[in-house]
Amino acid sequence: MKPGAFRFVVVALIIAASACQTTPPPSDPSTPTVTPTAPDTKPAATSPVVKTVEPIKPITPEMARNLANNCFTCHGPAGKSPGAIPSLTRFNASDMAVRLKRFKNGEDASTIMGRHTRGYTDTELEAIAIYIAGLKK
Amino acid sequence: MSRFTRRDFLRIAGAASTASIWTSPADAADKKTAAKKSAQVVVIGGGFAGATCAKYLKAADPSITVTLIEPEKKYVTGPLSNHVVAGVRKIENISIGYDGLRKRGVQVLHDWATAIDPGKRRVALKSGKSLAYDKLVVAPGIELKWGAIKHYTDVAAVAMPHAWKAGSQTLRLRDQLAKMRNGGTFIITAPQNPYRCPPGPYERASLVAHYFKRNKPKSKILILDAKDAFSKQALFLDAWKQLYGNMIEWIPSSKGGIVTAVNTSRMQLDTETGVKYRGDVINIVPPQTAGSIARMARLTDDKGWCPVNPLTFESKKFKNIFVIGDSAVAGALPKSAFAANSEAKIAANAIVAELQGQAPAEASYINTCYSLVAPDYGISIAGVYRVTAEGISEIPGAGGESPKDADAHFRADEAKYALGWYASIVADIWS
Repeated sequence: MKPGAFRFVVVALIIAASACQTTPPPSDPSTPTVTPTAPDTKPAATSPVVKTVEPIKPITPEMARNLANNCFTCHGPAGKSPGAIPSLTRFNASDMAVRLKRFKNGEDASTIMGRHTRGYTDTELEAIAIYIAGLKK
Repeated sequence: MSRFTRRDFLRIAGAASTASIWTSPADAADKKTAAKKSAQVVVIGGGFAGATCAKYLKAADPSITVTLIEPEKKYVTGPLSNHVVAGVRKIENISIGYDGLRKRGVQVLHDWATAIDPGKRRVALKSGKSLAYDKLVVAPGIELKWGAIKHYTDVAAVAMPHAWKAGSQTLRLRDQLAKMRNGGTFIITAPQNPYRCPPGPYERASLVAHYFKRNKPKSKILILDAKDAFSKQALFLDAWKQLYGNMIEWIPSSKGGIVTAVNTSRMQLDTETGVKYRGDVINIVPPQTAGSIARMARLTDDKGWCPVNPLTFESKKFKNIFVIGDSAVAGALPKSAFAANSEAKIAANAIVAELQGQAPAEASYINTCYSLVAPDYGISIAGVYRVTAEGISEIPGAGGESPKDADAHFRADEAKYALGWYASIVADIWS
């Protein structure tokens, strides 16, 4: 990526459906999800505090990249596979997210994708799909 | 029902579209000339960990000067080297050069790192050169612990190859097996954990059995194991019975599998229980430690491996030095090519974040190890990993082994995907 390109896109993603947390946001300035420079982002601290099982987990573009980069080990660079494992380049983000969640829930059979997708929240799977579908083909 | 707003979507997609791994080197060069004084990152080791890191560093920030130190002009991969041993693949087909990385703007030096000065931040090379670095990545793989099994030295490895660092040793073992008489005994020893490629010895026994079944069907294979359990054990044991009958015999440590000494002139192994085994071909997979430069630079702990921060893979011993791949203590991650690739990507992004004054993003690792029990019979183990208070930990409920009761189609698909994985990871790293 361009040097500093993420500066313009870095923002903690406040996920509406799970926008509630029981713990205050971390005050450690090195915590990547705290992005005081993003003016249009509602800080997590101001979200209504209700009891919930999972604390909010904002997904930054950098984290989406960390999640998605692992896919290329099997699916090839940028999701373009040179061998027997299917390429990801034919999917748009929405179709890929649906497919990943179907693997996770066991609705679609797979040799290994079920085992992998169960390691992620639905939100993370969506972030992965958005990142990969956004790559230049 | 997506939980992402349109704006969230555009941010992640936007980040992806500016990722320069997918832009042309010419674009990158333009950006480079505009950049301020370029940061220097030196990577020691051009294997699965080091080469991945070099490529993804350059992709994440083309302004960084990335110098890769690798002694060999062609890297011979450990993955698929068991196919070469079994004669089903040529070594040329698992040997990879560095032109792909050069095209990505990585400076590749075929040299040998001899010393690291963490204070002055310099690396000394065998050629006499010395390189300054802002960040150093150490990825030297493994070193074999000569003498850990009595009399097993580099000289003994001529008669009894290890073939655990792919290359001439791989061919030596292949040739010994090719010359072995029908009805002979092939012995392979497996070390205690941790070691490079946990299912490797068992895949090797499997593919040699495949070769014997077709060419030397009266032969036997003996696995002398320093452990009582191994990766994908139930799947391997089932498949061996199904495909090879009684050809492969596994002797765990509790049944006398621990080898204490080798005798090359008699082609004999001593075990802890006093029983001696003679073999026609003997393959010793010895105990291992971190690569020699990691030990010389005091990056290792008392067990011989390099402790690291699980979020970034920065050494716990010295700042600005990152240790990735087989040399690192990576929590629940195995010493596999896949894990090395996953670690390298996280380290690359953490290094770039640090150089840009940012905090690293949350780390996420995965692993998949395919093993071929026969060319058309594949099995796998997978894991998804996050950093917890205990370090790099496997996410419960995810990952695991191939199903025990899968049919032949499933096994054939996984065999196909094993080769597909190899093609993809090689492209992900070296092209």
